[in-house]
Amino acid sequence: MRTSKYSIRIRSAHLIDVAVISAVIGFVVYVAYRVDTVLVYNWYWGFIPDYVLRWDEEIGRYAPNLLLKGLFTTFRLAVWSLLLASLIGVIMGVMRTSKRLFPRMISRLYVEFVRNMPPVVFLFIFYFFISSQLIPILGIDEISVRASPTTLAVLEIAFGPPELLSNVISGIICLAIFEAAYITEIVRAGIQSIDRGQIEAGQSIGLSHFQVLRWIVLPQAVQRMVPPLAGQFITLIKDSSLVSLISIQELTFLAQEVAYSTQYVFEIWIFVAVMYFCICYSLAWLFGRVEKRLSVYRG
Amino acid sequence: MRPVKQLIVGITFMLGLLLIGSPVMAGELQQQLTTESVIETIMKRGKVKVGMATFVPWAMRNKAGDLIGFEIDVATKLAADLGVEIEFVPTAWSGIIPALIAGNFDVIIGGMSVTPKRNLTINFSRPYAHSGMGIVANKKLAGDLAWPDGYNSSKVTFTCRRGATSCTDTQELFPKAKLRQFDDSSLVLQEVVNGNAHAVLTSFPKPTLWQGQNPDVLFNPTLEKLTEGDESFGMRKGDPDALNVFSNWIMVNTSNGWLDKTWKYWFTTMDWSDQVDLKK
Repeated sequence: MRTSKYSIRIRSAHLIDVAVISAVIGFVVYVAYRVDTVLVYNWYWGFIPDYVLRWDEEIGRYAPNLLLKGLFTTFRLAVWSLLLASLIGVIMGVMRTSKRLFPRMISRLYVEFVRNMPPVVFLFIFYFFISSQLIPILGIDEISVRASPTTLAVLEIAFGPPELLSNVISGIICLAIFEAAYITEIVRAGIQSIDRGQIEAGQSIGLSHFQVLRWIVLPQAVQRMVPPLAGQFITLIKDSSLVSLISIQELTFLAQEVAYSTQYVFEIWIFVAVMYFCICYSLAWLFGRVEKRLSVYRG
Repeated sequence: MRPVKQLIVGITFMLGLLLIGSPVMAGELQQQLTTESVIETIMKRGKVKVGMATFVPWAMRNKAGDLIGFEIDVATKLAADLGVEIEFVPTAWSGIIPALIAGNFDVIIGGMSVTPKRNLTINFSRPYAHSGMGIVANKKLAGDLAWPDGYNSSKVTFTCRRGATSCTDTQELFPKAKLRQFDDSSLVLQEVVNGNAHAVLTSFPKPTLWQGQNPDVLFNPTLEKLTEGDESFGMRKGDPDALNVFSNWIMVNTSNGWLDKTWKYWFTTMDWSDQVDLKK
């Protein structure tokens, strides 16, 4: 019941609904029971809080431990690659709908290249062949040596500890380039869904190409793009766990480190799954609200 | 000019520049090798970057989330002896060699055994440790198997960590057995504990450590070393200075007994176990 336009009549539960629900519950209980017999495993959850927050004797207060540090890095990865991916996605999406062949060709090439490759393969190729050359050119390692304390403090809040700067930035670039291809397609669909008549009307009253885009096409397109974009952003957060394969020190990678060191494998993975779920679900909820707000303006 | 034309001209120009390149004069070669050595980079930076992967007790996380282990001690002393700071770059094991070649760090100190195949891609120093491969097996599945011939059968399944020498060792020692590979060293053990695989080869002290953690389920068919490995520092090819500095650092610390002493602490005692939240 997203909008007041559509309302669903609430009916009492049918017999078949009850049957389905009890079958599902029964199956879950059965699986949980089987796990205990098939899996020879001593469950122990007690060590997890310490790996989230730990009492630091030296500074005399609680300090984030590996899992929380990893969560922060995942947040930073998500936020920055989301911004970068949106920027690239909008530019490429607009190019994709251009009347001229060259921009259309460039963005088409980019989208097809990224979309038709498994994410992991893309990550490896992009990271080892392109990003590893890009990072030295940007001179990021020198920034962390030369920068003033204030700059370092700002950098630390934005990107995490300075020694991991190049690590995080290559993660951001890889993720953004990858996700932007999908955003490009969403933007293209949004723009193309606007009736041509409106664009022609804009042009006929003397608006420039950019003005038509800014004042007529994008405001309406953005509204239509919100639901698929929300899905894509949530996917981005989940995909951010893939960059653990190229050793970006985010939640999945650090969780793996804890699992290797302590050998409590399943507790760690289940806990991490819950952490990801909380982030993604709250994002979904947030986007649901945004969608509702935007629908107010719908004519 | 139209923007499109400009772009095409620009791209052609840049490609042309790439093609011309810069030829190296023979006389400058020696000079160039020295200045391009990773040793020079380390000294200039004042910091050595070491690539490693978590693997008990080579390198692991203590309760504070910091790195400890045999390797960590070795790399820390190396940095102190060179008079530079140390930075560890934790890296996924399956991608550690590409990461070295891509320049993410200066040297691999990651308990990496020398194999001829790996040696074709990277250079190795002289060995700084000699690990031994041991075996741990599931009591229920493998309790009745005769050691070692019973394990060389198509009915027996081994597990190993992908890309690790234990995979090739298993194939060589038990060619008929099935081998299941995992990316995660803890899953390698869990498969055997669950009874989905019969046994696993792993480097000491893990065979005894794992058996101690699961005394009702696991047993050691033998406590002998099945194979012996040579673990070395790994570095990029074409860098004689780095090879010389690292190899001689290892030689010096083998002669003065430091490496042996440190190795014994991490591999033959469990004095360090209270620093880690190791599974009971």
